[in-house]
Amino acid sequence: MSTKSIRIKRYLPEQADEAFWQRYEVPVDDSTSLLDALNLVKEELDSSLSYRWSCRMAICGSCGVMVNGIPKLGCKTFLRDYPDEVRIEPLAHFPVQRDLVVDMEIFLQHLAAVKPWLIDEASNAAEPNRQTPAQLARYKQFANCINCGLCYSACPQFGLNPEFLGPAAIALAHRYNLDSRDHGKAQRMPELNRHEGVWSCTFVGFCSEVCPKHVDPAAAVNQGKVESAKHTLIALFRG
Amino acid sequence: MSDKPSRRQAFDEPLWWGLFSAGGVCFAVFVPAAILCLALLAPLGVVPLDAERARSMLFGLPGLLFVGAVVCLPLFHAAHRIRHGCFDLRLGRDGRNKWLTYGSAALLSAAALTGVLIGMLR
Amino acid sequence: MHPHERLPPLPRTWWLKHRYFIVYMLREATVLPLLFFAVCLLAGLIALLRGEASWMNWLAFMGSAPVLLINGLALAASLYHAWTFFQLFPRVMPLRIAGHPLPHQAVVAAQWAGVAVVTLISLWLFVGGAR
Repeated sequence: MSTKSIRIKRYLPEQADEAFWQRYEVPVDDSTSLLDALNLVKEELDSSLSYRWSCRMAICGSCGVMVNGIPKLGCKTFLRDYPDEVRIEPLAHFPVQRDLVVDMEIFLQHLAAVKPWLIDEASNAAEPNRQTPAQLARYKQFANCINCGLCYSACPQFGLNPEFLGPAAIALAHRYNLDSRDHGKAQRMPELNRHEGVWSCTFVGFCSEVCPKHVDPAAAVNQGKVESAKHTLIALFRG
Repeated sequence: MSDKPSRRQAFDEPLWWGLFSAGGVCFAVFVPAAILCLALLAPLGVVPLDAERARSMLFGLPGLLFVGAVVCLPLFHAAHRIRHGCFDLRLGRDGRNKWLTYGSAALLSAAALTGVLIGMLR
Repeated sequence: MHPHERLPPLPRTWWLKHRYFIVYMLREATVLPLLFFAVCLLAGLIALLRGEASWMNWLAFMGSAPVLLINGLALAASLYHAWTFFQLFPRVMPLRIAGHPLPHQAVVAAQWAGVAVVTLISLWLFVGGAR
């Protein structure tokens, strides 16, 4: 057991208008995750610290923070990988509510806008919805998204223009558009065809680097450009 | 700074992206050889290139294709990246930058193709 | 008020804060020497139309040290662009043969083979036709 110093960007709106840095010395071993360390601070050093967390196993997607300037899940980040200083900040490009807690409302709006669920008005709910392994393989990679929002903090285009639908929403739209059971593509394309849809992306690619589930949203967005181009061409010919 | 969001469909973007992609392929596949031959080997005198040979190479259908692949499409590729680069650096308004960048690419492309056609008609 | 209206705009220098973004900007900047080369070619075309003397002037201009330097940079930029572009292609257009996705490395290698073939044919035509 050794100790490690972590610096956390604090923001307590009822105390001060400005955020400030606070250093904590936490006992760590090889298995201490960043989330473990935050829990340790909260329970033993400073109960005023606010942050989000739930599952501890990279499935709920709630413990995203900036670690030395890079968006990471606290539960999937281990302090043993950081021999030097560790700087913890709230996720970039989102308004901070308190300490490490950000307001993700705009991300949730973008997500809802692309209707990321199976749309099939004709389906009979009593019948099983069959799908072959080959049909599953077409979208499976893009189905692993846990809505953690790390890709939005990694995306400079979202930082420059928050109206950009962003990596996760477009990747999920693409995931449902590729699903053989879905018939909702015509409802999703008008969102993707906008300037703030797929066309705001410049394939920086950092979203795919930081994705904790290896969804490769950058690939999904750019495959979405191909789909949007096809859709637009067909619409032009139909008049 | 950023243009107001709208429900409007971006009918023009597939065209710019298509030209950007085609230009990107040309920039990667044809431009290295073109720079090597025309901007390094010929001016250095390694491979002599007099006006007569240049005319015979350029003023014809192969020359027209060459200009399309090495000048026009790469210009649209460059225009697209410069437009988005301006947005990245928060320079100007995107609506006007589009006119400036794609407009310049179109004008320079038209000039290059017209030049070859004039040479062919002489 | 929309919550995002409380966020200050991203500073113009945002891309200097992370190595990944600097590399991205470098990729985007490859078009600057490309633009220079394309304008050089356009000037060469006009010189060729104006006659023998103009063409010789253009060749001399292309042979001056700063122009050679920028065009050398353009060659490096085109190869760097190719390196980035070829890696993006299989992600944007995943190719499948008989239901199986083609490995990315194979697609990247095929594209470099294309560059090699085009360059060799160009050199063969350009150098071979010089005599």
